[in-house]
Amino acid sequence: MPGSPSALLYVFLALPILYLLGFVGFPIVYNLMMSVQEVNLGNITEFIRPFVGLDNYRTVIADESFQKVLVNTLLFVGCNVLAQVAIGLAVALFFAQDFPGAGFMRGLLLCSWMLPALVVGALWKWIFATEYGVANYVLSALHLIGSPIHWLSDPAVALTSVTLANIWFGMPFSMILIAAALTAIPKEHYEAASLDGAGSTARFWYITLPALKPALLAVACLVTIYTMRAFDLIFAMTQGGPLDASNVLPLLSYQFSFKQFDFGTGSAMGSFAFLIVFGVALLYVRTLKQETAS
Amino acid sequence: MSVRLRQLGVLPFGGWPATAIAVIGVGIYLFPIYWMLISGLKDSAEIFANPPTFVPRAPSLAAFEYVFVRENVLRYLRNSLTIAIPVTMLTLILGAMGAYAMSRLRNRLVDFAIVIVLLLQVFPEALLATPMFIIFRSLELLNTFAAVILATTSKTLAFALVILRPMFRQVPFELEEASFVDGCTRLQTFRLVVLPLMKVPLIVVGTLCFVQAYGQFVYGLTLLSQQELQPATVGIYSFVGAEYADWHRVMAFSSIFVLPILAIFLAMQRRIVSGLTAGGAQMTKISVFRRFERCA
Repeated sequence: MPGSPSALLYVFLALPILYLLGFVGFPIVYNLMMSVQEVNLGNITEFIRPFVGLDNYRTVIADESFQKVLVNTLLFVGCNVLAQVAIGLAVALFFAQDFPGAGFMRGLLLCSWMLPALVVGALWKWIFATEYGVANYVLSALHLIGSPIHWLSDPAVALTSVTLANIWFGMPFSMILIAAALTAIPKEHYEAASLDGAGSTARFWYITLPALKPALLAVACLVTIYTMRAFDLIFAMTQGGPLDASNVLPLLSYQFSFKQFDFGTGSAMGSFAFLIVFGVALLYVRTLKQETAS
Repeated sequence: MSVRLRQLGVLPFGGWPATAIAVIGVGIYLFPIYWMLISGLKDSAEIFANPPTFVPRAPSLAAFEYVFVRENVLRYLRNSLTIAIPVTMLTLILGAMGAYAMSRLRNRLVDFAIVIVLLLQVFPEALLATPMFIIFRSLELLNTFAAVILATTSKTLAFALVILRPMFRQVPFELEEASFVDGCTRLQTFRLVVLPLMKVPLIVVGTLCFVQAYGQFVYGLTLLSQQELQPATVGIYSFVGAEYADWHRVMAFSSIFVLPILAIFLAMQRRIVSGLTAGGAQMTKISVFRRFERCA
């Protein structure tokens, strides 16, 4: 560094990092600690609590709602990632074409992403209302369904409903990220391919898709991470019900802690969710690393 | 057909037909937001009308009036703002300092710090809620705005650092060198040279953080049990949670709550989108691990 000493820069670096370690790092460690202790309302503020080893984890694994909710979580996240990346890519490609108002309308789509997740949940609960909801009305007016769908109260449908709402909520963000990656593809590649007689399908498969691959992988990781946060939306729509049909791990963990005041089991459940998110985060960092290396 | 269309052209149309398709598509996509806004304008008979009316027959502000008078919307909005404004300030101060340091320092420690930030931003708040509850309980900060502000900032700060760092790298180093030559200290250079140049990106990131903090729910629900302190998200939730929700009123409440956000977004649309594309591109293609060449 030329000139001035960089001591100040280290102070600047330390402050936010210490903040994050204090308010994110410490809670994570604390959560792990609680997951091997017996924690109830009586001893919640004490630091020394009965150590129970892996008992909480055994309780969690044996719990039927946990098994169900783990599968739900994987389905919910998987469908969100697939749909948001696929639809996001399609929409980004559409708006990458030159037509009047393309940029403005592409931006307008972000309106749904700007809304608070809780409001999105409330709004879709109203849209999905069985008798007066507009979803059932439109579908039956189009003769797509015979009788009204019980979007939120039918255990077979509830997970699909919250998934649809979450895709609506998150897709524009994936789309914007993919659109940004699209503009980074050198135009010469397309020109050369056109000269060689490649049609639009060939250009998509042999130029666009390979060039986007790292970005798509990174977006998939980000969508996974954000989808694991879908607490507010599901809380507003179904609270995880009926019978845990639409429940996901972070929400179940929260319910164990704050509804049943079984903080130890809740924390152990949380650890499983941490593990999933942490695994994806590592994959994400690795993806970025490779992207930079190439 | 333009050149650009032929290059990216995966779909067989462009020009005005594409605009028409886009208008219809965006219209359908944003229909739920329209539905929220007009549901609030209906009365209790029309809200349960079958078939539903897509344009309110007799738009009335009765539902809005009800939530203002009976549901204390203003108090909820004030609480949300009391949380969101300090969160935004704190995030911008810490975020600008951290992002500036990350963009200027060049060593393993910084690489490590960036990975820490990337990793710490991924954990769902719902999972941090229990430890946060216990921490703030032992600090005797439960039922204070401070607790929610500190907790929410931990989420927005990581996001701000990730987006701001590449933006700070765009400040030409020569400008700083010149100010050092003129005898400025680094702190003065940061305040007088770097920050003014970063005004627009900081406003964009500040807006995004504000929106996140304004709509924050989990910590408001967990750390504030006194109704007088709860933010609007918690207010809407308790309203929706009722067995038979008055949907026109819930939607009126939601509309009042989100209209400021939508207004800010529409006013700043171009900047937010370009900020997101620039910052967002870095989220999919971060040059985290490349050493900072300029200062070498």
